[in-house]
Amino acid sequence: MIDIVALSKARGGTRVLADVSLRAGAREVTAIVGPSGGGKSTLLRCLNGLEAFDTGTVTIGEHRMQPGPHPARLLERVRRDVGMVFQQFNLFPHLSVLENVALGPRVVSRLPRAEAHGMAEAQLARVGMAAFAAARPATLSGGQQQRVAIARALALGPRVMLFDEPTSALDPAMSAEVMETIVSLARAGQTMVVVTHDHAFARRAATQVVELVAGRITRTGPPADILGE
Amino acid sequence: MLVPAVIGMSAHSGLEGGELAAVVARGELIWAADQEGGGPHVFPDPDAPQRLTGFEVDLAELIAAELGVKARFQQGQWDRLPLLLGHPADCVINGIELLPERRRDYRCSRPYFAYGLQLIARRDGPPETVAQLATAGPAGRWRVGVLTGSAAEAYLRSHPEFEVDVIGYDGTIDSLEQVQAGVLDAALMDDCIFNFYADRFAGLRAAGRPFGGGYYTVLTARDTPQLSAAIDEALGRIIADGRLKTLYDRWDLGGRQQILALRDAAEIPAAPRRPLRELVAEMLPLLLSAAGMTVLLACLSFPLAILTGLGVALGRLYGPAWLRPLLTGFVEVVRGTPLMLQLYAIFFLLPKVGLALPALVAAVLGLALNYSAYESEIYRAGLKAVPLGQFEAALALGMTKWQALRHVIVPQAVRLVMPPVTNDFIALFKDTSVCSVITVIELTKRYSVLALSTGRIVELAVITAILYLAMSWPLSLLSRRFETGQEQRP
Repeated sequence: MIDIVALSKARGGTRVLADVSLRAGAREVTAIVGPSGGGKSTLLRCLNGLEAFDTGTVTIGEHRMQPGPHPARLLERVRRDVGMVFQQFNLFPHLSVLENVALGPRVVSRLPRAEAHGMAEAQLARVGMAAFAAARPATLSGGQQQRVAIARALALGPRVMLFDEPTSALDPAMSAEVMETIVSLARAGQTMVVVTHDHAFARRAATQVVELVAGRITRTGPPADILGE
Repeated sequence: MLVPAVIGMSAHSGLEGGELAAVVARGELIWAADQEGGGPHVFPDPDAPQRLTGFEVDLAELIAAELGVKARFQQGQWDRLPLLLGHPADCVINGIELLPERRRDYRCSRPYFAYGLQLIARRDGPPETVAQLATAGPAGRWRVGVLTGSAAEAYLRSHPEFEVDVIGYDGTIDSLEQVQAGVLDAALMDDCIFNFYADRFAGLRAAGRPFGGGYYTVLTARDTPQLSAAIDEALGRIIADGRLKTLYDRWDLGGRQQILALRDAAEIPAAPRRPLRELVAEMLPLLLSAAGMTVLLACLSFPLAILTGLGVALGRLYGPAWLRPLLTGFVEVVRGTPLMLQLYAIFFLLPKVGLALPALVAAVLGLALNYSAYESEIYRAGLKAVPLGQFEAALALGMTKWQALRHVIVPQAVRLVMPPVTNDFIALFKDTSVCSVITVIELTKRYSVLALSTGRIVELAVITAILYLAMSWPLSLLSRRFETGQEQRP
């Protein structure tokens, strides 16, 4: 599903990613771990075209991204297949929870308002947030915001989901909730890539773990091999 | 520096009987006029534009010499020259027509010049005479330009049977330009003015003979009787010994006819002072309709300014690279030049390239253009204040750049900038008064015309201020609501 081949990227003369190659299939949860500043988030952002890269290729499904700036039409197609949940959630503060989730279907998929809202309600129910449809994001707890962000990304029916530090802003109970959501989404057939510091989370949720240090992959394998029991 | 300042203050305090002595002690007679009013009265010397010339410049020097002092010029806007009396000017010498209202509110000298009213039209068009104004022209009502506050304006307004829209200008040349450009059908002004400028406007002609008319007078304040009497005596001597005739002959103003006309000048009685209540009842509807024009100008121009400003801000932040410097240049030029100049350019200069806009349209466009530059800066700040993560989240959903702006960034920016934008709306409300330079009569202009024609300067100022407050107060409340709404929003 995701095939990264020899990806490199420099920023201001400094190498951020060096010769990164990685495969992640459907129903898999790939955890990317490693020290801060190791290039984890940058790698994730290269997968949905928020950042361009210098060499190598990224193939997601039938879309192939080449080095340099990506054509706008390719980006739109890639992003429709790739949902992303940000570390700070980045919910839209001027919209209600329901509108946050319905905006993508309405604007990007051009669904009529009623249909988009119906779809949004279904996604909110899937993450257990249906009761908060009318609330503003700022009134929600971190875990609730996280789940709304997941519902928002899911609403466009992506085949790949990217998570940037999904548990860093959450307490242990909320982390467990989010982990369950991620695992159940993977079982439903999605490809998941999760950048995380949380080794306990990676051990329990991931099917493969990739360690990224100073922009290079140092180790790849099952969680038990990389992180220990 | 302190001593002359103190003397200067006492000179303007109007001490009973001391005002003439104060002028003499100062050694200067400060006379007010408007050089924009133009020739032959007072205008910049074409050969040395920093120097003023005109028959009234010469007259002021003659009068001052008679008082044993030097003449010093004080610039003012013509229709508001009388407001300068007492401070900083001693007298007004600038084609001020001797009218009953002026005799009521000021001291008027004996006449020093006789004028007639002259209608001016294009060579190739009607009207032929003033009488023709009583029936509608080929394009409906006649559009006739006058100098605001002049006898020509009073004449046209006192003839309701004329099918005429009277349009007031701040300078006489402006109305001649507008007739030549085809914006106006005709202009009405003192005959000596057209005689002076006729060569410059080859496409214009005198329509019919001069008619009506009257006399020019030197205005002084009511509380300066000695100065007024001294000026009268000075004029008497200048007329008697032939110096005034020589002066007029030098300016090609028909010296002998002038002296004969002045000799026959009949006494003009002062107008009665009307009770305030009656005056207010009569003036309030006029002030209210002028306030309506202020509201109209603000409410038409501000939405345009907001839309243009938002477009400029978006273009500068997210537009193509070639567009950004152009928009930056637009903002700098518009912010760096006065609103009055922009209005002037739109209204008086565009007709020269064949685009004659109605005054209201020009005013709305000018205000919108000017404010769009300021609004664009506010919006730019608002757009930059929305966190980058919001933009990325929208892009990650598959939105295009412009979809992300429209649905995510702009709505948040608009909420952020609501208080400063409302604040600017209040400012624009008051800036509408500048539109009077392009003949739009809004509240401030109406006030100044009425105040000078009735002499009730303070009373009408209070009413006008109340009207402005009544209009801007609700906006202030609205602005405050936006602000508190934003504070409450977490």
